[in-house]
Amino acid sequence: MSRPRSALLLVGSPRGARSTSASLGGYLLERLAGQGVTASARFVEDLPSAATQDHGLPAAARAADLLIASFPLYVDALPAPVTRAMEAIAAGRLQDRATGGRRDFVAMVNCGFPEAQQAEVALAICRRFAAAAGFCWLGGLAMGLGGTLGGRPLGQGDGRFGHVEEGLDLAAAALARGEAVPERAVRLLARPIVPPARFVAMGNRYWSAKAAARGIQDRLRDRPYQR
Amino acid sequence: MHALLLNGATRDGGYLDSVERHLEAALTGAGWETDRVVLRRSKMAACRGCFGCWIATPGICVIDDDAREVARLMVKSDLLVGLTPVVFGGYSADFKKALDRSIGNILPFFIRQAGEVVHARRYPYEWRLAGIGLQERADPDEADLFRRLVARNARNFQCSRAGATVLVETDPWGKAAAELTRLLEEMGVGV
Repeated sequence: MSRPRSALLLVGSPRGARSTSASLGGYLLERLAGQGVTASARFVEDLPSAATQDHGLPAAARAADLLIASFPLYVDALPAPVTRAMEAIAAGRLQDRATGGRRDFVAMVNCGFPEAQQAEVALAICRRFAAAAGFCWLGGLAMGLGGTLGGRPLGQGDGRFGHVEEGLDLAAAALARGEAVPERAVRLLARPIVPPARFVAMGNRYWSAKAAARGIQDRLRDRPYQR
Repeated sequence: MHALLLNGATRDGGYLDSVERHLEAALTGAGWETDRVVLRRSKMAACRGCFGCWIATPGICVIDDDAREVARLMVKSDLLVGLTPVVFGGYSADFKKALDRSIGNILPFFIRQAGEVVHARRYPYEWRLAGIGLQERADPDEADLFRRLVARNARNFQCSRAGATVLVETDPWGKAAAELTRLLEEMGVGV
């Protein structure tokens, strides 16, 4: 096992620092820093393909011993700019593969649904990226009902997310040793804070309330493109 | 019947452009109307994750660019045919961007279906999804992942039919054409 000296977090949410992806990634990064890993973060931007390559992000990703991607599940997969960034990282990595040592990759997905397994395809895509880009795949974590965290920082004593923090603590300890995220960490993050049946009612009330706050509750089911 | 060909190829004049022309001819020959969108020529920002298409201007993305027209064409269509290079087993960034920007076509509300929570449909129309991926070299595992992604999309979009195929650039065209015919038949297009 090779212990990483540096870690780079890529936050793949367009909500940036206010996102649940940043909350999850930031907590993991703090725990890694606490174990002597030099930690930094960058936000994935919506850039054209050529600009992504020139932006410095691919080079920074290749320079880190441990690369962490944290992103929301969009339409069952990675948000488009994350795919673009990964393509740029892989393209550059192929050029300097001969000079690089071992570098690790781990992915974290904020899944809006209670069933974290809905992110299974997204994590499989991440695993393929790792192979294509020359990273050692150290596993993937998917948080069920990530939206309930709402971009708030972890580690603030909110007991509802204690299992998430415990899972990330376990993951950070393993990653700092150069090991794959343990199965228990995967299971802890996957556990939603409310059961699916209860979530449906709660979630639907949430959206109705959001619309009511804007005075458009009667328009939520509009069909502007009706045939 | 109406089909939308959504071309997520990254370069002009490549293999997927030939596939697009072949499909358009086949669909027209079968009596279908078609619209085509070449995404690399579209002006389309990435989704901001603001949910404005649900709670600010329901059904319409708050960003005024070509994604609005693509979303409208999706609703107009009985069949969406997505053409994309296979990127790590998934879609190209251009194709994914169009999908990400189309979530206004579903409702924010949740329902349970087949043991999972999904979003409810905004429109009552039957909708079919065909995914066509392109690989430079044959990679069965990557192709399998691509098919799983299309199936997962179809489940969450509650499509009445869905199918996928992965073509390989080095395969003879006759093999690709036969595979496309099979996929269209699976989608209920009599070719």
